[in-house]
Amino acid sequence: MNPSSLQIAEIWVYLSGSPLFALILTLTAYQVGSYLYQKTDKYPLANPVAIAVILVAIALYLVDMPYQKYFEGAQFVHFLLGTATVSLAVPIYRGIAVLKTRLVPLMIALLCGGIVSIVSAVGVATFMGADSAIIGAFYPKSVTAPIAMGVAERLGVSPTLTAVFAVVTGILGAVLGSSILNLLGMKAWWQRGFAMGVAAHGIGTSRAFAVHPEAGTYASLAMGLHGILGALLIPLLKSYL
Amino acid sequence: MIPGLVQILLWQGVGELISHFFLPVLPGPVLGLIFLLVFLMIKGQVNQSLALVSDAFSQHLGVLFVPAAVGVILFLPQLKAHALAVISALLISVVLTIVTTALVLRFLAKKGADES
Repeated sequence: MNPSSLQIAEIWVYLSGSPLFALILTLTAYQVGSYLYQKTDKYPLANPVAIAVILVAIALYLVDMPYQKYFEGAQFVHFLLGTATVSLAVPIYRGIAVLKTRLVPLMIALLCGGIVSIVSAVGVATFMGADSAIIGAFYPKSVTAPIAMGVAERLGVSPTLTAVFAVVTGILGAVLGSSILNLLGMKAWWQRGFAMGVAAHGIGTSRAFAVHPEAGTYASLAMGLHGILGALLIPLLKSYL
Repeated sequence: MIPGLVQILLWQGVGELISHFFLPVLPGPVLGLIFLLVFLMIKGQVNQSLALVSDAFSQHLGVLFVPAAVGVILFLPQLKAHALAVISALLISVVLTIVTTALVLRFLAKKGADES
């Protein structure tokens, strides 16, 4: 080995041992994802989280870094999930203040949608013979990812699978939502938006805002309320189903 | 921005404590969220610093679950083995959830309009 490559190797050993590498990798990958999302006019399949996960996975494979080592550094980003969860109180509060008059029908629809999302996912997965680790992660998957992962941890379910299922659910909902709602002949923006938010949390909300501001406001409220309801309901359903 | 962040971290701390000692089934941050929500409803307004922090988090929420989601590379063999079940469950569930929520909402809205 010549001296300069030895030096590079030393620098690499230093960098890969510090959290900096994982942090730069995570944020850069997400930035690329956000850029593509904006460039494609917020096309749901160009989801920034999905793109970031693929880019980070490829990078880890190329530099031959085990996931555990990457996570040691990236846990500083991961830690903020809890803080971000608490801060969701603000959009929920704003939503409730604006939408007080319709709160009762919204809550009933949310309860029905939330139960259907759990029972159908768990039912289909069980029927088709998925293993228990996968089935467990289906319980919280329609809830916004930060809350879903917290709930998953308490249930002894993999937060990783939960996050991945939540993101895929969001993308599917955002891609299919408008066509499904058109097929049903849904006309009111507030009803369309709320259905998107219940089924597809943050990703559906972002899609709803792109379609119509009223749909977006209701989607955002649905996502927040579903987060709270999910955290209360999922442990109950998990112990009885 | 700092007062808002302090406030959020304090509620998170209260949530974690109560979760740890009294309500282990609910995650601390979710309890923190509920406490902050109740606090805001009593207070009747959101101060600017808190709004700033909260907006920053909700705009970039996605980046926070990248580290955990990358762990999917450890589950690839398991997911491949059950690919069909996973895809069917996700697809059927999301379609049924949208349909149920939308139809229930339309039914209740119509009923409400007829009665008034």
